Amino acid sequence: MLITNDEEKLREQLSFTESTIPDRIAADPEVVENGLAKLVLSIIELVRRLLEKQALRRMDAGNLSEGEIERLGSALMKLEEKMLEMKKVFGLEDDDLNLSLGPIKTLE
Amino acid sequence: MKSIGIGLHLDREDVEPVAKAIAASNLFVSAIDVDDDQPLSDRELLVRVAQTRAKLLERATFIAVRYGFAFRSAAEAESKIVTNAARWRALLEENRTRVELTLKVVASTQQQKPDRNSFSSGADYLRALHAAKNAAVVSDTFKREVEKTIGALCAKQKWIARDAASIEFAALIERASLLKLAPAGESLKRACPDIPFLLSAPWPLEVFADADHE
Amino acid sequence: MARTQEQVELALLDMLDHLLDRGVVISGEAVISIGDVDLLYLGLNIVLANVDTLSRVLDKRK
Repeated sequence: MLITNDEEKLREQLSFTESTIPDRIAADPEVVENGLAKLVLSIIELVRRLLEKQALRRMDAGNLSEGEIERLGSALMKLEEKMLEMKKVFGLEDDDLNLSLGPIKTLE
Repeated sequence: MKSIGIGLHLDREDVEPVAKAIAASNLFVSAIDVDDDQPLSDRELLVRVAQTRAKLLERATFIAVRYGFAFRSAAEAESKIVTNAARWRALLEENRTRVELTLKVVASTQQQKPDRNSFSSGADYLRALHAAKNAAVVSDTFKREVEKTIGALCAKQKWIARDAASIEFAALIERASLLKLAPAGESLKRACPDIPFLLSAPWPLEVFADADHE
Repeated sequence: MARTQEQVELALLDMLDHLLDRGVVISGEAVISIGDVDLLYLGLNIVLANVDTLSRVLDKRK
């Protein structure tokens, strides 16, 4: 059962709607370099977001030491920087990394 | 060949024949088998797991295992479950007739994600991220409407700050009361036509199975 | 129950969210990190390493 109010706003504004899962990576040697980079970076970006959420959950639980908070925070910052570098290298925008969900399978 | 763990169940009949049932620590793990080299971040697999979850939920309430639990033997599954098995069993017995529902609502103030370039220390940055997440708010009027229309049908409920863009309401509802949920949702829509929300049910025990949220 | 295309997409995204971001965490393979700081940190470092590796591999092709 799903009841929604204002689907457009939901898509625009809810961050869970950023969850994009790629199709299985094609082991095709003809895949254009940029296309492969886009796919791999999208997966990395997805994992980065999940790890960020995980870090925030740990903050909620309040059981991180000062040193751990520093390490996690720095690692997240470094990761974001790396992602930015990589996007520049391949000339990709944030939008390019949001793979469309493709044809939607009917859910029961 | 490896197995993808889906849920934790009280009885074998709760699982079979929808999925494979693996006995572990006085519980049963539901699983589907995939190739060893099957990547987990595969949309078809995710949809398949989601559909299996839905079918399992039709049979009986279970505790959802977060996606990513893969194992190669019953012994491996057992070793990973044993620590919390007793607590999970008690939870399942207490909530046999209940399912979860969630309501996600867009925060009234959209937070900008903190800019990492304004922070010199990792700790400050992570704290700022955390603060932004918890700063997401929704009007008290809306919260009261939710509690009045939907909360009133539920055995347990809680509000959660999940991320900077939204707030979430999670609750446990008796299966017998599910029929009343759609009308309650429509009633909420009428009462608050300008607030975007997404109400979905039923779900297995997820939020209420997670120790962090106790 | 008839649904609009938008609702179908939202249902799919909602479903993915429930699958990936909720439920009890039992250690396993790597899409999701595990509730232990070292492993989380390791996860972040692995992802960093992947980005570097990707960069090197693609540089070599040029």
